[in-house]
Amino acid sequence: MSANHPSLSRRDAGRLLLAAGAAAALPARGLAAGPGNRVVCVSKQINEFIFDIGAQSHLVARDLTSIYPPQITRLTSVGYHRALSAEGIISMRPSVLLTDGNVGPDPVLAQVRSVGIPIETMAPGETLQTAQQLMLRLGRYFGREAAAKAIVARWQAEMKTALAAVAPYAKAPKPRVLMIHFGQIGNTYLGLTRGSAADQIINWAGGVNALDQMGGMARLTPEIIARAAPDIIIATDVGFDRYGSPAKFRDLPGVGLTPAAKALRIHRIFETEIMYFGPRTPAALRKIAGWLHPGR
Amino acid sequence: MTGIVLDQASWSAGGTPIVAPTSLAFAPDKVNVILGPNGAGKSTLMKIAAGRLRPTGGRVLLDDRDIFAIGAKELALRRAFLSQHVEIDFAITVEEVVLMGRYPHFARAPGHEDRRIVDAALELVGMSARRRQIYPTLSGGEQQRVQLARVLAQVWDDTATPAPRTIFLDEPVASLDIHHQLQILDLIRTLPARRCSIVVTLHDLNLAFDYGDRFVFLRDGQVQAIADDSVDISPNLIRQVFDVSATGHNDHAGKRVLRFHL
Amino acid sequence: MAARHRSWGQIHLLLACALVAAVLLSLSIGSFYFSPAQIFRFVGHWLGLAPIAPEEALDLNVFATLRVPRVLLCGVTGATLGVSGALMQGLFRNPIVEPGLAGTSSGAALGASTVFVFGNTALAFTSPLGTAAVPVMAFVGGFLATLLVYRIATLFGHTDVLALLLAGIAVNAMCNAGTGFLSYIARDPQARNITFWNLGTFTTADWRGTLLVTAIFLPCLWFILRRGKDLNALMLGEDDAAFIGFDPDKLVFRLLILNTLIVSVATAMVGVIAFVGLIVPHMMRLLRSSDYRFLLPASALFGALLMEAIDVVARIVIRPAELPVGIITALIGAPIFLWILLAYRRRIAT
Repeated sequence: MSANHPSLSRRDAGRLLLAAGAAAALPARGLAAGPGNRVVCVSKQINEFIFDIGAQSHLVARDLTSIYPPQITRLTSVGYHRALSAEGIISMRPSVLLTDGNVGPDPVLAQVRSVGIPIETMAPGETLQTAQQLMLRLGRYFGREAAAKAIVARWQAEMKTALAAVAPYAKAPKPRVLMIHFGQIGNTYLGLTRGSAADQIINWAGGVNALDQMGGMARLTPEIIARAAPDIIIATDVGFDRYGSPAKFRDLPGVGLTPAAKALRIHRIFETEIMYFGPRTPAALRKIAGWLHPGR
Repeated sequence: MTGIVLDQASWSAGGTPIVAPTSLAFAPDKVNVILGPNGAGKSTLMKIAAGRLRPTGGRVLLDDRDIFAIGAKELALRRAFLSQHVEIDFAITVEEVVLMGRYPHFARAPGHEDRRIVDAALELVGMSARRRQIYPTLSGGEQQRVQLARVLAQVWDDTATPAPRTIFLDEPVASLDIHHQLQILDLIRTLPARRCSIVVTLHDLNLAFDYGDRFVFLRDGQVQAIADDSVDISPNLIRQVFDVSATGHNDHAGKRVLRFHL
Repeated sequence: MAARHRSWGQIHLLLACALVAAVLLSLSIGSFYFSPAQIFRFVGHWLGLAPIAPEEALDLNVFATLRVPRVLLCGVTGATLGVSGALMQGLFRNPIVEPGLAGTSSGAALGASTVFVFGNTALAFTSPLGTAAVPVMAFVGGFLATLLVYRIATLFGHTDVLALLLAGIAVNAMCNAGTGFLSYIARDPQARNITFWNLGTFTTADWRGTLLVTAIFLPCLWFILRRGKDLNALMLGEDDAAFIGFDPDKLVFRLLILNTLIVSVATAMVGVIAFVGLIVPHMMRLLRSSDYRFLLPASALFGALLMEAIDVVARIVIRPAELPVGIITALIGAPIFLWILLAYRRRIAT
């Protein structure tokens, strides 16, 4: 797949020619004539958006954590996005390396650039609006503006109705919500803090983050969990699946003492639904609101 | 005057005197035995005399030169020292240990002469057959013999007119059985004939009297007496130095033999 | 005994040949595969002898700017760890000793972690260094830690090996606690950076860093290799080594400084790689001899060779992604060490 066999380079040349021809037909922006057909994207959010706008034919490789939508896993992984290797990326012969800015180790980007491969960094920002702008930007980038605009329009509409649906909960008492994510690298459970995308969703859904901390992800200890005293626990898929069921999840040290455990209000959600803003956010918002305010 | 001479040499550690100012000349080409109870400062005195421990007062001379002004490598050609306990935890062979005695004599690789001397030294201590054996697998006695071979190899001189050398041995037979004690001491006794001055510490007074020529009695860092004939050693001296009563007689060879009780 | 020394030379030659083979393998295999013919052509191109076809321009670029410095850094690092392990075992007169014992690698890890965590705040002054901030602070950390160990060990006069060992343990514990604390308070991406750095990797090798490490390593290696006799003598203990004409205090000091230098610099560039410094000298002892005149060159050669082999594995198991080499050394290190222990026991028994 990554060997530089002579016949592959001929096929590559053909592809590049096609891409060049196609790119020539597109409106040029600045010096670049389009991302080409060999995009390596190491951001799970951007990868999801690329599939949303139907530009996935450009992709040749992803990072380890890009697993949504499921068909993306058919693409080669170039590794964990904070432990990349320049040679590995370059061996995919990319026309461009696409990132959201969260990559490491630091020298790798410089190494990739040094062999003449352009790097396009598109930061998703902190808010729903900036995420929607990212989608539009990707639309322009891949020449799928119409598709991007359509998605964003529907996204905004769905968001509007979802927010309207959850508006009544603003007056209701706000349950304390603890969102537990699993950090596979460190093999530890982490809490999603205030200011994160998940936190904002919780706020819209009429809940309050059980953790006070701002920024980054919080190391969770049994004391911190107990002190947070959440009424509801929402755990992301990998971490939840290590226990298997809400009842078993109470075995996570510290959880058993929480009101959430006692009322068995422990829920599972895919990390890709809440770790960043995307077109699936409205659905996630409704789902979470349903958990936070059952029977209302 | 050849040999090692102490001139008012003393040593103290942090204000506490360990060895009082001592003036002492070791009898050249003889077996000098330093005797004294534990903690008397025997090892310290030996290390000062050997040029390893710089005295805090006084000086040490070798052939009328300040021993500490002589370079380490040059000094190693003239005097050797075997510490009480040499612990080697690595898997090196017997002959590699003995070869270390020749290190002062070659720069990069050992020469033919060095290898011959190693062979001869091993022969002398009776360890030739075990030359390839791994040192840590030897018994205590065997290890001691190998160390002795090393020290002998260091100052080996079997020319017609050998240069005067000094060999210090700190408790060389302490951990050996009687057979090997006598074996080693017999060997040591032959060395002065080759212009080797020996300075040795021994705990067994009868052995000391049997093998020694000059006796230096040390207690609390001070020389109590120096005797050149074991018959001159009185029970009073024994009591003064060792805190034991001694009754003795002279044996058929004229050497002193003692029995002790508290 | 002359025959013995000749057989040493033969083994060194064998190891050198194996190293050359490993280097060629390492130059060849990876996410990019370079055939021997290609490598030949690339070298020819450098020498200005042969032209390169345009479609090979990327391959040449990757080979020249990424692969070659990486292979060189890998070899130098392996040699550093091998020699350092042998050296430390000699200085401490203890077989269970490895390069990090005097605090060097844990100090380096602490230095690197401070950049990861405080690089934008308290240590913002390092930002002009850019990506060199981590190696520089790692070096500073490693050096300071070893200096501290040495000062503690010589507090009461001359260097006592036992004091050196204990001081090393204490400083290692302190540095590890510091790194642990930093990764605890670190925000999430920083914590992950610390974790990955602690696993060691040659991924980010570039010419500047590699040449720096090599330029420092070679003269140090030269000096160390000439100390074979001295290290042998140290086996007898400091007193007896002095009696055969060596200066153990000066020797220990100098060798410790050199060891600190080469290990700090390598760790700074590559991160922490465990076990190699421990198992390489022991494998060479088992192979032939514990005599340092054999062991030092053998450890350097075998260390380099082993490291190249490990890096090849690291590059291809999950190609095009890469495993940190530290994971591989940790995986194979323990079983190999157990095997070494068994081999020692078997040898003693016979």
